Amino acid sequence: MKLSDIIKKYDCKVYTPTLIKDKEVKYGFCSDLMSDALIILNSVKDPRILEESILITGLSTNQSIRTAEMLDVDVVILVRGKMPSLKVVDLAIESNVLLLSTEETMFNLSGKLYKDGIKGITYNEQW
Amino acid sequence: MVEKEYQIIAKNYDLAGRASSDIKRTLKSINLCRSLMKRVCSASYEAEINVVIHSVGGYAIFYMDDEIIRLEFHDDGPGILDIEQAMQEGYSTATEIDHMNGFGAGMGLSNIKKSADVMNITSTYEGTDLILTFYRTGECRED
Repeated sequence: MKLSDIIKKYDCKVYTPTLIKDKEVKYGFCSDLMSDALIILNSVKDPRILEESILITGLSTNQSIRTAEMLDVDVVILVRGKMPSLKVVDLAIESNVLLLSTEETMFNLSGKLYKDGIKGITYNEQW
Repeated sequence: MVEKEYQIIAKNYDLAGRASSDIKRTLKSINLCRSLMKRVCSASYEAEINVVIHSVGGYAIFYMDDEIIRLEFHDDGPGILDIEQAMQEGYSTATEIDHMNGFGAGMGLSNIKKSADVMNITSTYEGTDLILTFYRTGECRED
């Protein structure tokens, strides 16, 4: 699914419009616990998977941006209409992470994206 | 050879991860292979967060030569009472504020151990010293 289609379909607010790009999204991972994101996404050996991944989280602090940066995931979607503070947006720009937000809940967004054909990342996911 | 030192401030979630970001940028600038870079960065980030959450403050040292990458995390206490217990997944003494920042579920040390090639940890009430070693030979050649 194209990133631009996700933004349109789920009515995402774009907090870092300068970083918007035309890319394909094939994988997703959702968690509010960054340790889980780190260990599971870190187990993915093929860099192509993370390049086409999004991180879905309700955590609107710096830590979701830092975690995405550590993992080379460049799209973060905040759920439940979470609004990041300016310093979080600044960090996202500095870290080259596209920061989006939607009113959808984490379960609903994940379910709908799954239906759209986005695959969930599991431990040691292979291309 | 590269050596850098970073200050880590206790309970400061705005700056937490700053050292690891800088380490990541350093590794990226030398085109280190991705799998090793991700292992180093994830371990570094978890360890940095540990110092932020649990200690009264400390510092990190990043060292790299042709053979190894070494990360050291030193803090000024209060130390880990029972390291074996702290290594168990799910064991945590973190607070509500730590959870609100996406950490503190008791996965830190075990995740670090999985990521690093060698992990050495010693702790007294005066502080904890965590030394992580990653070998540059091996996996990077396959990439």
